[in-house]
Amino acid sequence: MDFTVFAQQIANGLVNGMAYVLIATGLTLVFGVLRIVNFAHGEFYMLGAYITYFVGTLFGLDYIAAAAISAVVVAGLGVAANKLIFWPLRRDHEFTILLSSLGLALLIANGGELLFGADPKYVESPFADEVLEIGTVTLTQQRVLVFAAAVVALIAVYLFIRYSRFGKMMRATAQNPDGAALTGINIGLVHTYTFALACGLAALSGALVGPTVMIFPTIGNWAVLKGFIVVIMGGLGSVTGALFAGLLLGVIESLGGGYISLGFMEAIGYAMIIAVLLWRPNGLFSTARGLR
Amino acid sequence: MFGRRTLLAAAAALALIIPVAGTTGAQAQQPPVRIALIGPMSGTGAFEGQLGLEGAQAMAAVINAKGGVAGGRKIELLTYDDKGSPEDGVSAAKRAMEQDNVDMIIGGWFSAVALSMKEVTRDKIITVMTSSQHPKVTEEGHKYLFRLNATSAMMSEFYSKAICDRIKPKSIAFMNVNDDWGRLELDNYTKLLTGCGIEVKGHEFYNRTDTDFTTALTKLKSLNADAIYVAAINTSQGATIYRQIKQTGYRGKVIASAGNMNPKLVELSGNSLEQVYSASPFTEDGAAPSLKPWLDQYRKDYKNDPSFIAALGAQAVQTLAFGVDAAGGDPRAYDKIAAALKSQAVPTVMGELRFSDKGQASQAIHLVQVQKKQIVSVRD
Repeated sequence: MDFTVFAQQIANGLVNGMAYVLIATGLTLVFGVLRIVNFAHGEFYMLGAYITYFVGTLFGLDYIAAAAISAVVVAGLGVAANKLIFWPLRRDHEFTILLSSLGLALLIANGGELLFGADPKYVESPFADEVLEIGTVTLTQQRVLVFAAAVVALIAVYLFIRYSRFGKMMRATAQNPDGAALTGINIGLVHTYTFALACGLAALSGALVGPTVMIFPTIGNWAVLKGFIVVIMGGLGSVTGALFAGLLLGVIESLGGGYISLGFMEAIGYAMIIAVLLWRPNGLFSTARGLR
Repeated sequence: MFGRRTLLAAAAALALIIPVAGTTGAQAQQPPVRIALIGPMSGTGAFEGQLGLEGAQAMAAVINAKGGVAGGRKIELLTYDDKGSPEDGVSAAKRAMEQDNVDMIIGGWFSAVALSMKEVTRDKIITVMTSSQHPKVTEEGHKYLFRLNATSAMMSEFYSKAICDRIKPKSIAFMNVNDDWGRLELDNYTKLLTGCGIEVKGHEFYNRTDTDFTTALTKLKSLNADAIYVAAINTSQGATIYRQIKQTGYRGKVIASAGNMNPKLVELSGNSLEQVYSASPFTEDGAAPSLKPWLDQYRKDYKNDPSFIAALGAQAVQTLAFGVDAAGGDPRAYDKIAAALKSQAVPTVMGELRFSDKGQASQAIHLVQVQKKQIVSVRD
């Protein structure tokens, strides 16, 4: 086996996997804290990439500033989606909420096609074409940035959930919403913060991955699919699970595509879900209800 | 109550008025020739669908401004979304024929869609397939079916000569889309390029839904081929592949598949397409004067640059308009229209088209190259 190719495929897989982790973390937070399966999560990823593009081209801002603005704007849109759809429906049946999120996904994707046009776009970044040679591995600066920024974002999210006052409120709500409300926690505010955080993370991943591929209004489908595979594998509601499952999926896809067959790459994710669900029906890192 | 005399008088007056009103109405506005344009309006091929539609609409506007077809009938385009999928293509064609009762159909941007759709429209309605290249689309020769683009066999015969004689790589590897066309491309070029002494080092097939290609390109790079040939139909995947080839650190030659070079692809690919060759029946530089009215109309109406796909949309509308005129003006006289199209040269934006008995067009193909982010034709 050629070691250079092997190392390169591992590096490719880790970068792709880290992008999956970032997408899945938002998805798993919303489920873990609010028990909402949000099919529109991929659309917030798409909006993140598009807003980065438009802020960069229309206002001439540099890539990093555009990505930061995009994350904030999409976090705001997430709050609006919560206020308009998810909060009013919180006492309804889970299926009603699930179907509403599906409706929201279609609305944003089709609205995006009308608003942004069907032509693919490219998010300009100064790091996109700069190649870094790390030993025998070749990566662009952008791909290193995807990995590094995701690590920083995940550490920040971890610290926020673990130590901040709002993080503690989120965890309490995740464990028992009624109990949390009885102790005086403002559940409405927890909803708002969770959506802002989740959608902001989705937008951040869109902004980071944007310059490595072309963007078009239906890229959200891809993102939410990968997100769900990771979340189911890692265990619904588990942030640690999403981290390991995302990296695992990225690396296995890369090695499977590299050494078995590329046509097989798509199937690998689904095969992994089946295997994990048979072995541990609640996911790799699932223990009990709550945010982990 | 009205008396009998009053009623009779009123009836007589109406009898006089109605035919007169009817005639003047018909003279002022004849019913339009209704053409269904079935293409990928959403999904990953949406941009190609948009280009084709823009080209067709600009040509319809040019023809309508000159008074339409068959002595004053305007062309009306009805748009249907096939989502790039054979199932949706088939249902769109059925809807166009049975529900909307259109006169003619334009479709078949992707081979997979064209191959399924042609069985639904078979011998029922004049159908012009556009960019699909699979030879089987016109192989059986349905009597009302026409296809504009050169088949992949015709394209590869021309392009392989240019690769052997001008680009001259010692070895080559293929990066092809995993569908009927992509597999056929691999077979054709493996045969033709091996014939002129180029070593084929390997290939990878990617899926039509893939967004990242680093895994495949890492494998291809490790083959150390002198050139990588990319067979990508859709612009977003193509642009990502060309960029990622450079980003993996590959420094050899890149060859773009025939018929898939467009200005948007060049724009999205940054510098990665610089000096890259392709082959195309459409070139804007040194084009025939017949192209000008359409180019002007297109530039006036749309922000995209004119492209091969848009020119195919225009050519499809032109072909149908020519057929209706040549057959005496009835868009439903399918036998006459088919005979007219097969018996004479059809003047179009990309020069004269000649259709074979099976409805396959022969178009002139040109070698093109990207130079300073412009697609220019390469002449000897």
